[in-house]
Amino acid sequence: MRETAPLPLDPRAVRLDASAAGRDDAIAQCGRALVEIGAVEPSYVEAMLERERSISTYVGEEVAIPHGTLAAKNVVRHDAICVLRFPGGVDWDGERVTVCVGIAARGDGHVRLLSELAQILMDPDRARALREADEVSEVVRLLHPTEEDQ
Amino acid sequence: MAAIESKDIRKIVIACDAGMGSSVMLASQVRKQLKGEGVEVVHTPVNSIPGDADVVLCHAGLADRARASAPGVVLIPFQVFIGDPAVTRLVDTIKKGGTVDA
Repeated sequence: MRETAPLPLDPRAVRLDASAAGRDDAIAQCGRALVEIGAVEPSYVEAMLERERSISTYVGEEVAIPHGTLAAKNVVRHDAICVLRFPGGVDWDGERVTVCVGIAARGDGHVRLLSELAQILMDPDRARALREADEVSEVVRLLHPTEEDQ
Repeated sequence: MAAIESKDIRKIVIACDAGMGSSVMLASQVRKQLKGEGVEVVHTPVNSIPGDADVVLCHAGLADRARASAPGVVLIPFQVFIGDPAVTRLVDTIKKGGTVDA
């Protein structure tokens, strides 16, 4: 297995103050953010919606991790993550979501970052920090894999 | 009903549709919790579960596909990605010893 890239989270793909009409709108915005940083082809957005309809990507602590299907890996150009925050909340099949971590992956470049996210979700203080951070750099820092994971 | 003794568990496979998101997160959790137990934890798409899997963990909504993909293997479905009681139970059984069935 190839050594993973240090950081698939591009600060340009972090938005602290987005708003969405609903779940699908929030997912489409995540998809477009991944398109804008050149990580995926535009058709990836539809695959993210399709994936969400099969099983919710809600993971707890007001966080969802929308991503594409296995078939859509073909339209991923490089591993990437985006973070879109919706302070007003999005109804996610009955759960309230304020943070969307959109994922595009064809390899394992995002694994350490997701591992860090899992740690954050198990720590209520850090989960709150992710929801409330005032600066993009703080979100990037929170999700940066710690020494232990490297 | 398939069953396996905890001491015989060498490889846990966490399966989801794309092997891209949720299974990755759960795998990293389980790997941490089982550090030092000599158990390999991998994540794969549900349609390509490796033949040497001793236990398969997957979201309840994918259980039928996982069963078809890995017949006869102990399959543990879960509902939530972080802190699901079924996953906690598996980790506890591996650490303390006992039988895992599903």
